[in-house]
Amino acid sequence: MHRLSSPGVLWLGILAAIALVLPVAVPNAFAIDIFIRVLLFAFIGVAWNLMGGYAKQLSLGHAAYFGLGAYTSTILLIRFGVSPWIGILAGGVVAMLASLPIGALCFRLRGPYFAIATIATAQVLMLLFLKFRDFAWGAEGTTLPNLGDAPLMMQFESKAAYYYIALAMLAVGLAVTYRIERSWMGYYLVAVGEDEDAAEAIGVDTLRIKRHIYLISAFLTALAGTFYIQYIYFIDPNTAFSFNVSVEAALVSIVGGIGTLWGPVVGTVLLEATSALLQSWLGSGHGGVQLTVYSLILIAVILWRPTGLIGVITDGYGRLVHPGPARAQEAPLDG
Amino acid sequence: MAEALVIRNLSKRFGGLRAVQDVSFSVNEAETLALIGPNGAGKTTSFNLITGYHRPDAGSVSAFGRELVGLRPHDICAHGLARTFQVARPFGKMTVLANVMTGAFLRNKKPEVARARAREAINFVGLSAKEHSPARDLTTIDQRRLEMARALATEPRLLLLDEVMAGLNPAEIDQAVALIGKLSQRGLTIVIVEHVMRAIMAVARHIVVLDHGQKIAEGDPQQVVANADVIRAYLGTGYVHGAPGGGGC
Amino acid sequence: MFATVAQAVVNGLLIGGIYALVSIGVTLIFGVVKIVNFAQGEFVMIGMYISFFLASRFGIDPLLSLVVSMPVLFVIGVLLQQFLIRRVLALGDMPQIFLTFALSLLLVNVALLLFTANYRTVETPYTETTIHLGVLYIAVAKLIAFIVAMLLSGLLWIFLHATDLGKAMRAAAQNRDVAMLMGINPDRVFCVAVGVALALAGAAGSLLMPFYPAYPMVGQVFVLMAFVAVVLGTLGNVTGALIASLMMGVAESLGVQFVGADSGLIVVFLMMLLTLALRPSGLFGGWTR
Repeated sequence: MHRLSSPGVLWLGILAAIALVLPVAVPNAFAIDIFIRVLLFAFIGVAWNLMGGYAKQLSLGHAAYFGLGAYTSTILLIRFGVSPWIGILAGGVVAMLASLPIGALCFRLRGPYFAIATIATAQVLMLLFLKFRDFAWGAEGTTLPNLGDAPLMMQFESKAAYYYIALAMLAVGLAVTYRIERSWMGYYLVAVGEDEDAAEAIGVDTLRIKRHIYLISAFLTALAGTFYIQYIYFIDPNTAFSFNVSVEAALVSIVGGIGTLWGPVVGTVLLEATSALLQSWLGSGHGGVQLTVYSLILIAVILWRPTGLIGVITDGYGRLVHPGPARAQEAPLDG
Repeated sequence: MAEALVIRNLSKRFGGLRAVQDVSFSVNEAETLALIGPNGAGKTTSFNLITGYHRPDAGSVSAFGRELVGLRPHDICAHGLARTFQVARPFGKMTVLANVMTGAFLRNKKPEVARARAREAINFVGLSAKEHSPARDLTTIDQRRLEMARALATEPRLLLLDEVMAGLNPAEIDQAVALIGKLSQRGLTIVIVEHVMRAIMAVARHIVVLDHGQKIAEGDPQQVVANADVIRAYLGTGYVHGAPGGGGC
Repeated sequence: MFATVAQAVVNGLLIGGIYALVSIGVTLIFGVVKIVNFAQGEFVMIGMYISFFLASRFGIDPLLSLVVSMPVLFVIGVLLQQFLIRRVLALGDMPQIFLTFALSLLLVNVALLLFTANYRTVETPYTETTIHLGVLYIAVAKLIAFIVAMLLSGLLWIFLHATDLGKAMRAAAQNRDVAMLMGINPDRVFCVAVGVALALAGAAGSLLMPFYPAYPMVGQVFVLMAFVAVVLGTLGNVTGALIASLMMGVAESLGVQFVGADSGLIVVFLMMLLTLALRPSGLFGGWTR
C-alpha cells in the first residue's frame, strides 16, 4: 500500500508534466502513435491488474470486454447515430453485465482452469460475432464513417487529441487503482489473491469481492475497446476480441509488477519500447519476432523476478537514494 | 448460563471415511471447551464443519441462537465465530499490521479505525515490535500469534483455536495459556483443539473427547482423564487398568 | 441418414485418437507435476515438423519417423522439466501458468520465423486411400493413426500400472509428500512424466502428418481439444482423458456434419463451459485441485 510521501509527489508531478507536453514536444505522428499505444495498453494492463494482479484471478480472456465495448459503441454509432462519448459508457455497462454470468461460471474454478475458461469465453464471443452478420457485420467487420474533425463524435484531425484522451483514461485507471489499494477493498483483494480460505475465515466475502472487481475491470477494459476502434476506424471480430489483447493485458502487468500501481505502466513502456526498437531494426513483416521477444522477456521475468520488474526499479532507486544493504525482495504491503 | 454453541448429531463422510459421526455437544458462553482425541479423530473436520468450510451430511450447528449450517465461512465469521488454522495461513505479501487490519475491516471499513483495532490485537498477542514485518518472514510461532491477532480483530464472540500449542516449549505454552485465560476473562467463548495436556488442564473446565469421528467421553478434566474409553483410545487396551492420568499426546 | 451419422461418428473416433494422445499428455503432467502445460500443442507441432523434414529430406514415412520424434520429444521433455518447470514449481499458480504459456508463444513464433506460416504436407502412398466397409469410408491414414494412438495409450496404461516407475508416478500424483517418504525421487518421476507426455505429443504429430498439414499454429487447435478433454475426463485421470477425447472427437464431427463447417469450435467450447458449469470435477468424479 503506498504512502504519498514528498519524493513520491515530486516524481508524480514530473511525470505528469512530461506526459502533458509530450505531443507538443515531439510532434512526430509516428511517435505520437507509439505513445498512444503505450498509454492504451498501460490502461488495459491497469484494468487487468485490478483483478489479475491484486486478486490473482488470472484472466486470459479480457479481450471479451474489450470487444464488447468496441462493438457496443460502434453499433450504437453506425446503427443509431449515437455519439461514441455515450457509446463508450454504454459499452462499459454492457461489459459489466457480461462479467456477471462469466464470473459466476469461471470463479468456481481455481488456478489454470480459470484462465482456460476465460480464454474460452473470449473465443466464444469472437465466434458469435463472426456469425452475427445482420447486426454486427460478421467476419468482414466494418469501417467507421469518417466524419473528419468531429469532437462530439470522438473523431479528431490531430493525433494529439487521441493522445490526451488515452492519457486521461490511464490517469483514471491509476486513480481508481490507487483509491482501491488504500481502502478496505484493496486489503480484501490481496487477501483473496493470497489465500481465499483464510480470507473467508476473517469475514471476507470472496465471491462478492471477485464479482465487484470483475465489474470494475470489465468496465475499464471496455472503455479501451471503444477508444481503440475510434482510433483505427475499423472493427472486426478478430481485432475486437483478439487473443493478443488478452495476452498483452496480462503480460504488461506480470512483466512490470503484478499487483502494484505502476507495474502495468512499467511493463508497457518496456514491452512497447522493445517492440518499437525491433520494428525499426528489422522492419515489419517479420511476424514472429515481436512475440518471440515478448515471450523470452516473459520467461526471463518469471524465472528471475516473478513479482515483476518494478521491484528491480524501486530497489535500484532505493539504493541510489539510501545506500546500504539492498533488500532482496520488494516491499511488503504495509498497513 | 446461555449456550454459545450447540452441536447436534453432526455427521460428515468423505467417500468411504466417516470423519465425524453423530457428534453432539454444547459450549456455554464464556466457557473454554477443549476438544481432544487421537490424530484423525475428526477434530479439525469438526471445526471445518462448524465454520462452514464443509457442509455436514446431517446434524445442526447453532451459535448464539442462529443456525449456521449452509452459511458460508465469511457469514459465520460475521456472526461472531473466528478460527485459526492448524497450519498458520498468513497473507505473506502483507505486513503483520496489514494482515490484522484485513481482519479488522470486517467490523469497520475505515482504514484509521481498522488500523487502531488491529494494533490493539497485535499488542495483545505480543507482536507489536514486528508490526511492519512481512508476514512471510515471521517464525512459525509468530505466524501463529499473527493468526490469532487476525482472528481477534474480527471481534469474535467465539474463538476456535486449532492446535495453537503444537511445538511450543514450556515457557511459550505458559504464555499462550495466559493469553487464552485473558480472553476468557473478557467473556470470550473458546473451543480449543489440543494435544498438549498441560495446556488443556490449565484452561479447560469442560472436555469433549473424539475418537474415529465419534464422541467417546465428555466431562471435566478429572472425569475424562480417568475414563477407560479415553485411555484405550490414546494408549490402547493394555493401559486401561493401569494408573489414571495416562492420556497424553 | 444412418450412414451419415455413422460416418461422422467413425471420423470423430478416428481423430479422437489423436486428441487422446495430446490430452493424455496434458493430464499426465497435470496429475504428476501439478502444472498445466499450455504448450502441449506446440510439441505436437514440433513432432509434425520433425516428421515433415524427415519425409522431405530423406523420404522417411511419417509413421516410421515415430522412432525419431518420440525419443527426441522425450528428451526435450526431460530438459523442459529439469531447467524450466522445476524452477517454478514452488512459485505458485501465476508463474506456472505464464511459464508454459510463454513457452507456447515462444515456440509458435520461433516456428513462424524458421518455417514461415506456410502449410507443409507430406504425401504418402496411403494418404488418399480409403477402406470401404459397408456404408463407411475409412481413411487408411486416419485408421493407422487411431490404431497406433490406442496402442500407445495401452502401453502407457501398462507402464503406469505394471512397472515400478509407473506406479511411483501414480503415487507421486496422489500424494507427493508421502511418495517422497517412500523413497520415490520426485525429480526423476517428474522428468519421466513430462518426457512421456511430450513423447506422446510428438507421436501425435507424426501420426497426423500423412493427412494433416503442419504449420506453426497447428498445435493450438489440438491443445484446446486436449484441455476440454482433460477437464471432461477429470484432471489427472488418464483413462478419463482418453474416453473424453474420443467423445470430443465424435461431438466435433457431428457438429461439423449437422450444424456447419465452422461450428466444431463452438461445440467444443460449449462443451467445456457446460462441464465447468455443471460438473467441474469432470465426468469421472475424483479430485479436483
